[in-house]
Amino acid sequence: MLSRTAENLFWSARYIERADSLARLLEVGYRISLIPNTKSGYINEWESILETSGIKETYLQQNHKITKEKIISFLLFDTNNPSSIKNCIKNARENIRMVRTAVTLEVWNAINSTFHDLESNTRSTKNILKELPEIIEWVKRQVNLIRGTILNTQLINDGYDFLILGTYFERADFTARIINVKYFILLPSVNYVGSEVDNFQWSMMLRSISSFRAFKWAYGEEQINYIKIIDFLILNMTCPRSLIFSVEKINHHLERLCKFYKQKTKAKSQVKLMYRDLKKLNANEISNIGLHEFLRSFIKDINVIYSNLEKKYFFGTEE
Amino acid sequence: MFNEVYKNSKVRKPYNQIIDWAKSLPENVIVKKKNEAESLFKRIGITFSVYNNFDSTERLIPFDMFPRILSSSEWKTIEKGVIQRALAINAFLNDIYNTAEIVKAGIIPEDLIFKNPAYEIKMVGFKVPKNIYSPIIGSDIIRINDKSFKILEDNCRTPSGVSYMIENREIMMRMFPELFEKLKIETVENYPTYLLEILKTLTPLKCENEPKIVILTPGSFNSAYYEHSFLADLMGVELVQGPDLYVDENITYMKTTKGPEKVDIIYRRIDDNFIDPISFDSTSLIGVPGLFDSYKSGNLNICSAPGAGVADDKAIYAYMHEIIKFYLGEEAILDNVKTWRCFKADEKKYVLNNLHKLVVKEVHGSGGYGLLIGSKSSKKEIEVFKKKIEANPSNYIAQPILDLSSVPIFSKKELSPRHVDLRPFCLVGAKKTKLVSGGLTRVALKKGSLVVNSSQGGGVKDTWVINE
Repeated sequence: MLSRTAENLFWSARYIERADSLARLLEVGYRISLIPNTKSGYINEWESILETSGIKETYLQQNHKITKEKIISFLLFDTNNPSSIKNCIKNARENIRMVRTAVTLEVWNAINSTFHDLESNTRSTKNILKELPEIIEWVKRQVNLIRGTILNTQLINDGYDFLILGTYFERADFTARIINVKYFILLPSVNYVGSEVDNFQWSMMLRSISSFRAFKWAYGEEQINYIKIIDFLILNMTCPRSLIFSVEKINHHLERLCKFYKQKTKAKSQVKLMYRDLKKLNANEISNIGLHEFLRSFIKDINVIYSNLEKKYFFGTEE
Repeated sequence: MFNEVYKNSKVRKPYNQIIDWAKSLPENVIVKKKNEAESLFKRIGITFSVYNNFDSTERLIPFDMFPRILSSSEWKTIEKGVIQRALAINAFLNDIYNTAEIVKAGIIPEDLIFKNPAYEIKMVGFKVPKNIYSPIIGSDIIRINDKSFKILEDNCRTPSGVSYMIENREIMMRMFPELFEKLKIETVENYPTYLLEILKTLTPLKCENEPKIVILTPGSFNSAYYEHSFLADLMGVELVQGPDLYVDENITYMKTTKGPEKVDIIYRRIDDNFIDPISFDSTSLIGVPGLFDSYKSGNLNICSAPGAGVADDKAIYAYMHEIIKFYLGEEAILDNVKTWRCFKADEKKYVLNNLHKLVVKEVHGSGGYGLLIGSKSSKKEIEVFKKKIEANPSNYIAQPILDLSSVPIFSKKELSPRHVDLRPFCLVGAKKTKLVSGGLTRVALKKGSLVVNSSQGGGVKDTWVINE
């Protein structure tokens, strides 16, 4: 397959996953704004949403104040925000349009109609705050639809691997980022760790990655605590949003590509090591290393693996 | 004006059944079907881009559901005429890049060829694979009366619109299957197969195995991008952009996830000037450095050949009857439209004195831009054109204002006639020349308008050749 085709597939899936993550972040913001007595937490929450999606600076360049209406429209529809949901969908579609022939008609239809519907949603939205829950639901539904058509109609060949890789590179990066932001921004003082405020924040974070109920199922009715959360979001193979889950997927699909092309790659041997190390770790050890330290090196490692994948498959040359 | 449906208030034979059907459709069904067609087009992504439009650059081409119908005997004439023309055009190109016998014979003035901006000096003396310069020719045909079809212009570089021909049919079959059960409508869906077949025969000198074919597109912002990806998909070949290719020691490769892969034949949808920044326009970002050398060294074929555009120049067009006669020894089956060439003093004089009843066109223009329709222009506009012609006479030709034939469209309340033309796509291979039975019918949607170009308010119709 053309290197550019592989790259377009990868990025298209990556943008779709990002749109999904942003919708879930907005959902949490909205939920918090409905809960009384969280005034200071509320501003923090919106700020941390900007932080997590990595666009705080862009936002502040264009807006002076942090207000929820502005943030919502910035994240949803603003075309000046390179990672607004609208731009993510647009970029996903543009990437697929460039390789129209590499996906099935059903996948294309799902992405293309999402793009067109979002255009008309943008125009018809009058009260963004009131309509937010509906829009979020819609985005999540469309993403599930797109992903469903990928799973059900695409040939399971190298193109499929690149689509799945895009999804899990984005998810690994995003989950790591969201844990990091929550930990680092909201709880600068170690004394807070394990407090009531803490529990509330953690449960909000679980919701933002749609794992609140899953967590309850996995760990029973007991109080949420810090170690369990680390275990769940980083090391639990049954949680589809955990870091280890994404790493396992990346490992699996890079391995498939190696077999498919009968070529070894640096990216593959690196992710294999990463996966092996994660399997050996437990939550207390991560806490001892320091969650922040751990996440920082995780994000760095994932980026190194990505850049090796890029060199190998997207430009046709490897160092 | 020739009405294709009614003759002396009687329905002409090819339209017999369809007119009853169209009239029996209730208004609400028409509206419903129209919306259905539009949403199908939109969902499939059949859009074209309009330049000089900053924001929403994708538009839908308007589709009208009333089919344009030709009887199989009418089609046979068109088919023969188009094939004849395609063969003559390739023979002509072969000649002018080699010994130029047609110039020596005094049939065409040499300036018209050698000073033509589309004439590619770098192609002189080069032996093009299988002597085919232009394997895909889309000629625009108009109908004047019951008997006569005329060719308005030829497109020998990269004619577009064939995807609409196929998609229009798909949509009609989906919406009105009952019509296809009842009538014997010739299929057009084989076009991509035929195209692949003929491209496969055009192997470069140094190609021993099954040739690797790719389509080269300028990219997704090009107005015909949908068509490029559509054809690649149906032919099962890669759709590449300039940066996907590179040339090493005169061999062209594409960059794949497995590493480099050799390419033998490029069906390019990029203009001559942009295919190679080393040999042509050095600012081109969509081309491939070294492509032309790869071509000339016999490692690669580029279809159509650089420089093929001379043959669809409007000044050369005026000589098409002579060209057919010279190379094939035959009379032209399809007539040309009477054309006055302004570089000839007497013809220019006639043009300047009769602008109000002529269409004036730029020799190298296309897309319906840069032309004057005398009867629809103000005195001031005519004066401006007069000065342009005086200043640069060889840049203009003039033709009578033609009454294009009409076919009805479903307008708001009723069927209403609109002017149409027809573009069939002729495929020229090493051994065979053929076309599918059908083409693209373009329709001027504005009442009375004669401009059918999609960039200027034109729409499209499905075109049926009915087997009697």
